[in-house]
Amino acid sequence: MIDLEPFWLTAKLACCTTLCLFIIAIPLAAWLSRRSGLFRTVIEVLVSMPLVLPPSVIGFYLLVVFSPGGAIGAFIEQWVGLRFVFSFEGLLLASMIYSLPFMVHPIQAGLSSLPPTLQEAAWSLGKTRWQTLVQVLLPNIRHQLLTAVVLTLAHTVGEFGVVLMIGGNIAGKTRTASIAIYDEVEAPNYHNANIYALILVCLSFLILFILYWSNRKRGHYPMW
Amino acid sequence: MTHQVPFRRSLRIAIFRGLLGIARVNKFSTIARVKKLLGIVLLCCSYAIGAIAQQKITVAVAANMQYTIEAIKTRYHLTDPTEISVVVGSSGQLAQQILHGAPFDIFISADTSFPQRIAQASLAVAPPRVYAQGVLVLWSVRKDILPKPDMALLMAPGITHIAIANPVTAPYGSAAQYILKKYNIYDAVAAKLVTGESITQTSQFIATGAADIGFTAKSIVISDAMKGKGVWVELNRNDYPPIEQAAVLIRQPVANPAAARFYDFLFSAKSKAIYQQFGYLVQ
Amino acid sequence: MNLRADMTLTAGELVSLYGHSGAGKTSILRMLAGLMKPDGGYIKVNGVRWYDAAERLHLPAQKRRIGVVFQDYALFPNMTVRGNISYGIRQREDNYLTDELLDLTGMSRFAGSPVQSLSGGQQQRVALARAIASRPSLLLLDEPLSAIDNALRLQLQETLYHVHRRFQLTTILISHDIDEIVRLADRVLHLDNGMIEAHPNPGIFFYRDGSGLTGRVVHIDEQQIATVLLRERIIKINAAGSGIAAGEQAAIFYDGAAPFIRKL
Repeated sequence: MIDLEPFWLTAKLACCTTLCLFIIAIPLAAWLSRRSGLFRTVIEVLVSMPLVLPPSVIGFYLLVVFSPGGAIGAFIEQWVGLRFVFSFEGLLLASMIYSLPFMVHPIQAGLSSLPPTLQEAAWSLGKTRWQTLVQVLLPNIRHQLLTAVVLTLAHTVGEFGVVLMIGGNIAGKTRTASIAIYDEVEAPNYHNANIYALILVCLSFLILFILYWSNRKRGHYPMW
Repeated sequence: MTHQVPFRRSLRIAIFRGLLGIARVNKFSTIARVKKLLGIVLLCCSYAIGAIAQQKITVAVAANMQYTIEAIKTRYHLTDPTEISVVVGSSGQLAQQILHGAPFDIFISADTSFPQRIAQASLAVAPPRVYAQGVLVLWSVRKDILPKPDMALLMAPGITHIAIANPVTAPYGSAAQYILKKYNIYDAVAAKLVTGESITQTSQFIATGAADIGFTAKSIVISDAMKGKGVWVELNRNDYPPIEQAAVLIRQPVANPAAARFYDFLFSAKSKAIYQQFGYLVQ
Repeated sequence: MNLRADMTLTAGELVSLYGHSGAGKTSILRMLAGLMKPDGGYIKVNGVRWYDAAERLHLPAQKRRIGVVFQDYALFPNMTVRGNISYGIRQREDNYLTDELLDLTGMSRFAGSPVQSLSGGQQQRVALARAIASRPSLLLLDEPLSAIDNALRLQLQETLYHVHRRFQLTTILISHDIDEIVRLADRVLHLDNGMIEAHPNPGIFFYRDGSGLTGRVVHIDEQQIATVLLRERIIKINAAGSGIAAGEQAAIFYDGAAPFIRKL
């Protein structure tokens, strides 16, 4: 029986993660692109760490930290009413950590590639840092923003290790498509596994195709 | 228990030392050089002989046996120096891997159906043999939760997550599922169930407190690693089908006598004593 | 290099900041704009202190009423010409300024065009218009015409002149071009060795007694008329009696009566 619920869950997780990260990553990338120094380098390293750490490590430590048996988990449950283990919220948090570098790096690179006089011109016209970011800088790195969004989406769709550690495989809440495929392989139910995998491959292909196609469509001459 | 240098290694050292001793008379003479060369050649040969005789074996072990197998290994090493490397996983996962050619010598499962699949695929030397019977327990590390064999407490609102092993790949998980259905509370608690990939992950969920309570193997809760953590209670053996745990010797292209020896040891009286020590039931 | 800028400007005047490359002209401009922090001293505009080291006051660029034309124009690619110019407008009452500036700079035809499609000269005009639209107290021009070819430069100098006359903005112009400075500036501030000297008359400042024009003789014909390559011009001059030959460096003088050529 082909159950499509894991795909809806994966889609929901990918979209929520991307949206939340987009909001967080822009100020962070803006800060990283204009600062230099020890503190900034440390932050830059921390942002890149999820690239290097195995996802299961991230998942395991989240499990330990947010377990309601522990101090932090109990505190959060008491005051916010949320449990980050075995819940969609936990997956969202884990995905955000796991995909953070994929959202931050392209935006940071894009902002750094703009000539500094661009924002100086906006400041000279009386615009605040935030107005300059939103009205002048971000509109001029549209391609990098799109890259960041699509990379994050695709990366979250493929997430497995973290979800395995902290998800608990609950249907409708934490059984994402990648976990569902894994379950079918383990059962073993190769027929279902193949179908699920095929759907996932097609979705990923579609997402990447949109990215590369839209990045090629524009033929305008760059300013610099 | 002292670690004894195996006989063959000491023999090798003796040969080499002896040859060196002869050569030391005149280090640079031709005769000495020939003898040194001879010594090296003999050394290589003896290593080759030793390699064939002193083999390594790989044992795939169901997660509930992960602590027990260490005790069995230690006991075995008192008389046999064979190197044993252990791979732990859920019975289903391991069976899958073996069916796809994983190079394990012995498969120690948590049930009989997975070893039987290996036998059906003509990958077993002999039919599977039961070595012990598993005991299911209900366990919690939360101070405010007290597990009881009647399981009504699982429906309480204070319990949000109940950990069980994946019923498809872990026999203890399917036993837990069985018992929940028998007590007619499966549907009521289905939404609270959190599935671990193996007994190891399930126990991890329970031990870290991530899950409020859960079903696991008795051998886990009485092991040194988990002893004293939380409270556990044995479940009524009549409430679930017996978890008969079987092992099977896997057919190899070249028969490995070391594997056969260890396999036989699993059913010896000494091993049975260890199984009982770890909370299993033995015939 | 230590830079010590001591200058006072009158409202409405156009001064030129002149000096060789690397002297610090752009740095002074950036400090006035609030993009760079000086080590000490103060900046006071219309009675308001923009920077004061003693009081640890440093107004950021946003809070200063300045208009800047950068060397690379820094137009916003995501906006049209009209969008760029009106981006600087601070009050709704000034909205008419956009159209007036488009007119003054001759860019009305291009109001809806993307800035990427403009030529260098056109972009410069838009940058100027944008800087003025915000009604700055101080207009800072950083070598605005350095990337423009000669033919266009004259035209743009005219535009600059008219714009300055219309709005009477206090302006600092950084330029290498003596033509430009003499034509547009009321005063010259000469930055040399980290110090500023003010010169009230640009025309007189640039007159070098005895070292007028130098160039190379390209050709001498039978009538002794020499063709001389000056910096950007070629002229013909009567070289009779100078003893100069083709290929040699020459200097051209004007003693009040007629120009004459002498071997360098």
